[in-house]
Amino acid sequence: MMSNNMETSAAAPVGVQPATRPAYPPGDLAIWIFILAELLVFAVFFAAYAFTRMNHVELFNEYQATLNRDAALINTLALLTSSYFVMRGVVAAREGNNALCARWIWAAVAMGVVFVVVKSTEYAHHLGAGVSLSTNDFYMFYLSLTFFHFMHVILGMVILAAVAVKARSGGYSVEDHTGVETGASYWHMVDLLWLILFPLVYVMR
Amino acid sequence: MSQAFTKAMARNIFYGGSVFFFLLFLALTFDTHNAWPDRDNRAAINDSVSHGKALWEENNCVGCHSLLGEGAYFAPELGNAFQRLGGKDGIKGFIMSRPKDGIPGRRSMPQFDFSPEELDAIADFLEYVSGINTANWPPNIQG
Amino acid sequence: MQYKSQAVAKPYFIAAIGLFVGQILFGLILGLQYVIGDFMFPEIPFNVARMVHTNLLIVWLLFGFMGAAYYLVPEEAERELVSPGLALLMFWVFLVAGALTILGYLLVPYSGLAELTRNELLPTMGREFLEQPTITKLGIVVVALAFVFNIGLTILKGRKTVVSLVLLIGLVGLAVFFLFSFYNPDNLVKDKYYWWWVVHLWVEGVWELILGSILAFVLIKTTGVDREVIEKWLYVIIAMTLITGIIGTGHHFYWIGAPEYWQWWGSIFSALEPIPFFMMTVFAFNMVNRRRRNHPNKAAILWALGTAVMAFLGAGVWGFLHTLSPVNYYTHGTQITAAHGHMAFYGAYVMIVLTMISYAMPMLRGREAANSNRSQVLEMWSFWLMTVSIVFITLFLTGAGILQVYLQRFSADPLPFMVVQDKIALFYWMREVAGLVFLIGLLTYVASFFVGSREPEATVAVAEKA
Repeated sequence: MMSNNMETSAAAPVGVQPATRPAYPPGDLAIWIFILAELLVFAVFFAAYAFTRMNHVELFNEYQATLNRDAALINTLALLTSSYFVMRGVVAAREGNNALCARWIWAAVAMGVVFVVVKSTEYAHHLGAGVSLSTNDFYMFYLSLTFFHFMHVILGMVILAAVAVKARSGGYSVEDHTGVETGASYWHMVDLLWLILFPLVYVMR
Repeated sequence: MSQAFTKAMARNIFYGGSVFFFLLFLALTFDTHNAWPDRDNRAAINDSVSHGKALWEENNCVGCHSLLGEGAYFAPELGNAFQRLGGKDGIKGFIMSRPKDGIPGRRSMPQFDFSPEELDAIADFLEYVSGINTANWPPNIQG
Repeated sequence: MQYKSQAVAKPYFIAAIGLFVGQILFGLILGLQYVIGDFMFPEIPFNVARMVHTNLLIVWLLFGFMGAAYYLVPEEAERELVSPGLALLMFWVFLVAGALTILGYLLVPYSGLAELTRNELLPTMGREFLEQPTITKLGIVVVALAFVFNIGLTILKGRKTVVSLVLLIGLVGLAVFFLFSFYNPDNLVKDKYYWWWVVHLWVEGVWELILGSILAFVLIKTTGVDREVIEKWLYVIIAMTLITGIIGTGHHFYWIGAPEYWQWWGSIFSALEPIPFFMMTVFAFNMVNRRRRNHPNKAAILWALGTAVMAFLGAGVWGFLHTLSPVNYYTHGTQITAAHGHMAFYGAYVMIVLTMISYAMPMLRGREAANSNRSQVLEMWSFWLMTVSIVFITLFLTGAGILQVYLQRFSADPLPFMVVQDKIALFYWMREVAGLVFLIGLLTYVASFFVGSREPEATVAVAEKA
């Protein structure tokens, strides 16, 4: 989807809008304003994390070791796969194949379920060990950032499910599939945020 | 470009965003409740402290003073009055010593004619408040 | 006026203006007590005057919101109110309950009022802004329920527009969050935490929905811009309001015994709270510039634009000044808070109610669309007098606050509270002078209702734009 757009936008001269060219940015403009706002908030959170970590490197390194990196890696793969599925869903919608679109989007939601289940077991493990937001600065940031993201995953799944239901009932067409692109854009943002979160919180030492 | 910006999407962001952040607020509130036993000095709350809080409210002390920085800014902060005035006796002595007709030209606390038991309750309440973990606020003893 | 039942808005607006005058008179008493400490002591001590000042503000704004709703909803729903009689009845109930409460503050010592109203049965009194006796609070709930019922049913039975739905959500939220005023545990930390669920979630939450929808309504009517465009803006603005404002509540939780992560959550989200106010400013100017026609009521448009600017300055900029927790550590509970409070309340809520009154009152008094030119000129004078003086009040209080923070909290040798108050008295004097100018502005405003009422209506000078 992205490459498709970039090719067309590179080829088309500025100011000329051929009717067949997919709109850029894809999806509803409102979602892009919202995505930018979200990225801004996460950027501030990431900066705050980095700043606090700088002042407490040892504490952060010590407690980072208590995190389950394998689980996080599984989740990274799950979200990457889901983004691929979503992209296939968008391609199907652009070709007017509603049934195929719905199948791909549902597959992406399934990968979202994998993420939620894995992350929940991680949370269960931490809560079982008596960890909370007030335990220390590292857990405060770890729980705040990942839980804030976790809620975004759930919201993204709700959005994708709505898209899939509408696709299943034949709600999109070659001319009008903005809804699919809107949901896909949001989901890619959720994925992108995790791709920053994962190295920042789990891996970076 | 603005054509792609639909009212339906703006509406969805409003409803979705509001519900999302309210749920997040509830989750943080839940964690806050779990954290309170270590911070809010609840062990110190007894009948006298409760009585003191009722007196604090029924005489509208917050109409002049601030307590943990909230209230009016006409009279000193009282969250650390226990330390600043030198314990319970200091608090009670100050309240008792207020002149009935005020001080000419200056701000003065009214004379409330509290009974010894009531004075005790108020001082107990302020002692309890001084034990709340306020993340080191106020910055110094002057409040 | 398109619907007969819109007329019930008129007594609400008149009461609002009357109580507004009372609020300002008590504000002047308070300002004087700041510099002449024994002024009116012990007859009207500071705390009593302050209660009257803040409670009158809340009550007259509520009168204004209700009046605005009764005027706006029939036009939006394209039908008469379900029950104009109920609206009038509730007007009198609210007015009498409010007047009795204020008289109670002034005539009986507060502890006597608590005893008289049996506060011990369900103690809710004596907390900032929620000083009303419990029985008054119950009365407010009854009035609010009847009001939401009346408005809600009218909307449901009529045309449902975004403006009226957003207004309804705001009003229902107002009623729901007020219920937290009945929760008053012995544990002070919990008490304060949920006290903010009323205060913050009102003024930085649901009230902004009411503000947004009233502003959208007046802009639709006065600019003739397509409703679709305005409603889209409205949705985006209120979405940003709640997205930033709900977690933004955390900026009140820094120093009251809540966990310290609120310093992060509160700082980050409340730092974004100016965004919706900024969008509102862009929105209002945009719509007026894109107007399809010139409305003869210039005063109303001035108020609408003024609301957008002053709400951004007072709530947005002055709020941002002290919202980050490292700054707030020093400014919490000082005159900085007072400065922000004055401009934010005036800019956001006083001005939106005056915008609505300015727009609706000519029609309620039998005009076609606007007052006479003379009346409007006077009203616009009052706009500038009040607005400029509130800016100065805010600047002087900010000056006082900066000095207070430095002398009492920041310098190497911190001074006691009362010593600092004496040192910054000059700023309080200047604030009082600005307050007098505000009163002159307000009296000018009242006068504008009586001047030029026999003269012909103002008309549009320029021919209609294409």
